[in-house]
Amino acid sequence: MAVEAIARAPRSPGISGRVGARILEVLQILGEATELFFAAARSARFLPVDRDRQRVVAQLVRVGTETLWIGALLSMFVGMVMVVQAAQQVRNVSQEILGPIVGLSMTKELGPVLMGFLLAGRAGSAMAAELGSMTVYDEINALRTMDIDPVRFLVMPRFVAATIALPVLILYADFIGVSGGAAVVAFDPAITITVRAYLDRMLEWVHFSDFVVGLVKGVFFGMIASILPCTFGLRTRGGTEGIATSTTAAVVWSFILILVFDFLIVRATFAF
Amino acid sequence: MVTPAEKREHGVAVELAGVRKSYKGRQVLAGVDLRVPPGELLAILGQSGTGKSVLLRQIIGLERPDAGRIVVGGLELPRYLGMPPAEKPFRVAMVFQNAALLASLTVAENVALRLREHSRLQPAEIAALIRRVLEQVELTGTEDKLPGELSGGMRKRVAIARALAIDPELMLYDEPTADLDPILTEQIGQLIARIRTTRGNTQIIVTHNLPLARAVADRIAVLAEGRIAECVTPAELPRSQHPLTREFLRASALAG
Repeated sequence: MAVEAIARAPRSPGISGRVGARILEVLQILGEATELFFAAARSARFLPVDRDRQRVVAQLVRVGTETLWIGALLSMFVGMVMVVQAAQQVRNVSQEILGPIVGLSMTKELGPVLMGFLLAGRAGSAMAAELGSMTVYDEINALRTMDIDPVRFLVMPRFVAATIALPVLILYADFIGVSGGAAVVAFDPAITITVRAYLDRMLEWVHFSDFVVGLVKGVFFGMIASILPCTFGLRTRGGTEGIATSTTAAVVWSFILILVFDFLIVRATFAF
Repeated sequence: MVTPAEKREHGVAVELAGVRKSYKGRQVLAGVDLRVPPGELLAILGQSGTGKSVLLRQIIGLERPDAGRIVVGGLELPRYLGMPPAEKPFRVAMVFQNAALLASLTVAENVALRLREHSRLQPAEIAALIRRVLEQVELTGTEDKLPGELSGGMRKRVAIARALAIDPELMLYDEPTADLDPILTEQIGQLIARIRTTRGNTQIIVTHNLPLARAVADRIAVLAEGRIAECVTPAELPRSQHPLTREFLRASALAG
């Protein structure tokens, strides 16, 4: 009797069961995000409609407000630190290389990744929390009962705004990062080159295609930093705790996917 | 004043046959059969967690039943839901338990939301309509407030105003008096009764508040074990022999 009862008792899954369940969950989230991406892209056909365009503009303003100041600080200090660090590394060679180091790093890698992280961390987390709260408190269902498509009304404006905003934000970060480096070159007594030389060498090395790589990354990262938070927001369950869990997961997933796509884009650019 | 004949014309009939719904193997609705004639105000009474809200979600199409059919205004529900908003022959609105107002929009923007998205009314006409429905729910002057600045009772009334703004032929209320004190409960009850008098649309209220159901409803359907156990008029209710109804009457008498 007791043996039968033990045999019938539900068993907690073993390590393989837990890993399998986790893999399935990851695939499900990626599937939902892909589906939402296509739905948002389809909804972008409504952009000629005034009220849809107004919602995109409102999101653009919001993304800008949330990221511009902190983006400026971040880029400026990254540019400054790079010059100081690189100057130490090349002290026995030539400091003329400082300009190309800062220029290429900012345009091709640091600008896009830092701004992608910033967008995901600031605007993306706000998107996940807002949509999560709307899901939990039936606001999304209320929209559905009013024949209002939540993807067109909520997701598409955020998606389009983030996709437009991030490349612009990257150019802004590139400019401020390079300027921060120039400020160090101008005022740090350990650096012997002039600002003119720093900028001239940079312009010799940084080409238009480097900006294009950064901007392409920006488009992809902007999509990731909006679609993933919206996906997590819309799949939120379980009240306040669920909103917090979704928000954290949205940011972590966005960071990981930004880095994965960063690698894929870099790999693809070297293939051509 | 709206005549009874006019009242009947504005509502639509709702029919449910064998509606079943399960979640993770747990059956919540076990074959619900129900017919609500046009213009009737039906209260669905049941204990918490017995599937009353689930039933409403099936009727408005937020969830699809596992089995059974739902016909609203003579149209199979999936067909109605698949129609473009402008082509729908009648409108359905729902008042959610927690009001479900969009927190980032003002009262006026919440009330006007569906009109702005789907009607061809001019902004001035929409503004006039908003003023009218807010007056009906006694919330004149709250147009520019955000939902967070309102009390629970006021939020419920804004949710009712949002529903009224589209002049729906069918209105569904999910626990309209949940979390409200007795005075606010009475106000909401009076408001629902007034809507019935002035609009004459079909209304379905899900509640576990027996006094409210008796005060406003034409009929009361008792939901027990996933089925409609009985459907009676408020006058017939005290004679009911159903154990759950008896229990509700006993508890209500104790509370009153």
